[in-house]
Amino acid sequence: MTASRKLILAALAIALVQIGILSWMIVGRAMILRSGQEVVLEVQPVDPRDLLRGDYVRLGYNISSVPAELFAKDDPAADPDERTVFVRLRAGADGIWQAVAAAYGAPPASGPGAGEVDMRGTADYGRGAGVASIGVDYGIERFYLPEGQGRPIEDAMRERKFRMKVAVAGDGTAQIKAFYDGDALIYSEPLY
Amino acid sequence: MAGYLSTLKNDVARWQAAGLIDARTGDAMLRDAEAHHGRGVSFGSVLSVLAAALVGAALLLFVAANWEAFPRVARVALIFIGILVGYVGGAGLKARGHAGLGEALWLLAAVAFGAGTALVAQMYQLSGDEAQAILVWCAGTALAAIALRSHPLTVGAVLLAGAWLLMTATASGRGDHVPLSWLALAVVLWAVSLWTASAASRHLLLLSAMLFAGLLYVDHESLRAPAILAAVSAAAFALGVWRPEAADRLVRLDGGLPVHGLLGFIAGMSAIQFEYYDEPEFIYVAIVVFAGVVAALVLAGRSSRMLRWLAYAAFVYELGFVYVALIGTMLDTASFFLAAGLVLALIAVVITRIERRMAAAAAEVRP
Repeated sequence: MTASRKLILAALAIALVQIGILSWMIVGRAMILRSGQEVVLEVQPVDPRDLLRGDYVRLGYNISSVPAELFAKDDPAADPDERTVFVRLRAGADGIWQAVAAAYGAPPASGPGAGEVDMRGTADYGRGAGVASIGVDYGIERFYLPEGQGRPIEDAMRERKFRMKVAVAGDGTAQIKAFYDGDALIYSEPLY
Repeated sequence: MAGYLSTLKNDVARWQAAGLIDARTGDAMLRDAEAHHGRGVSFGSVLSVLAAALVGAALLLFVAANWEAFPRVARVALIFIGILVGYVGGAGLKARGHAGLGEALWLLAAVAFGAGTALVAQMYQLSGDEAQAILVWCAGTALAAIALRSHPLTVGAVLLAGAWLLMTATASGRGDHVPLSWLALAVVLWAVSLWTASAASRHLLLLSAMLFAGLLYVDHESLRAPAILAAVSAAAFALGVWRPEAADRLVRLDGGLPVHGLLGFIAGMSAIQFEYYDEPEFIYVAIVVFAGVVAALVLAGRSSRMLRWLAYAAFVYELGFVYVALIGTMLDTASFFLAAGLVLALIAVVITRIERRMAAAAAEVRP
């Protein structure tokens, strides 16, 4: 094989590897959307001065701040910085899912009961006197919008309740599925 | 390198005319120089890289401006086509002898891959983990650099690794996050740079290592990282000065190791000085720095013009440091300007004398 043929084959291989990596990411996300357990969370606006950054809104949820007493094992007062955390959710009477237990490193022991799901996040800091609650990021704190549509949604979010339907994979990865203004659907994520 | 070749051509013609070398030797020298330097970066290939970058930027801007008009699947397809055409087209161009254009297309393909990771994040509303995305981008670029033995792609991967280091270390509101795994990444990229013969990547990696030590110092508020940086740099300097062949076999920086050694030494010692700013020990640290700079000048100043100028700059910097720390309170502003003017004049005289002696010494070597 000539050197130039080898080079072109190497280039083709690299192109396919990189396309493969991107495809794998896309398929992984589509799988979560298709077969993940659905939970509904209440959206809470974060940092009123800086809601809209670039072309997305930053979002907080009713489970973004997890009370320290929900942690069974481990010491929640210990440095929570950047640790993986699993939060167990259960649907409340109003259809909004609430945190009922949490643990660092692995899902809470005893496994999720019927109607429960474990969602994975990253603890970023402790809050309050003696660390009363732990801030958790789930990787769903951002919502991309077409240019110019961020401001109206941001304003409406301060007046009305917004809700988010989230799909949770078996390993706890969360994926945004649909965005509701009250009961009205304003966005639904296509598979691809 | 075209500049060097044309200079050499003029020189050889003059030497032939003066009878210093005969015509055959002159022609042989020119052929040898062309064989060794002709493959380097030419003005034409630099222009073609710039042209490709401009066309690529125009395409990207067009797509970005009309992004909403494309359905999601079309956006993904566009990125995939960009990657495929970039790598394979670049390889085709390189195989036909257009090395500059080929490398430029590869860079565009690597950018398309990075844009692809951002697109997936946007499509599925992913948040957080920008640093993670940069790391994936860095790994993909490094893979491409290995497979295609590309020097520009290696530089790209090193820069992305540095960006990842900075983003992870400075993530807002979180301390203690300088990723030690950067060291492992740097070792891998160093090996890649040897494979792709990318000396620029190794220079950038050494500069990143100094950044790494600086971030560790800021993050941990401990002098361990700067002390290690200063010690390792001094050792590297010594190796580069006393065992230049061994050092060059090891790091292949074309004799550039002493300059990095001096730079790292000054960076590490500066951190230590900041720490002892108000302590009586400050003056001892300052003496070590002055001694180090003078020693560098004496030991390696003769062989490297860049090192000399770095040493002069370090000397002035250190003088300013000492002034602010020790003497600043004793002089008023007018006296300061007078003193600074006199000291700078003195330094200028000393530098001029050193440079003149260097030039004279160089002339003696070359009779």
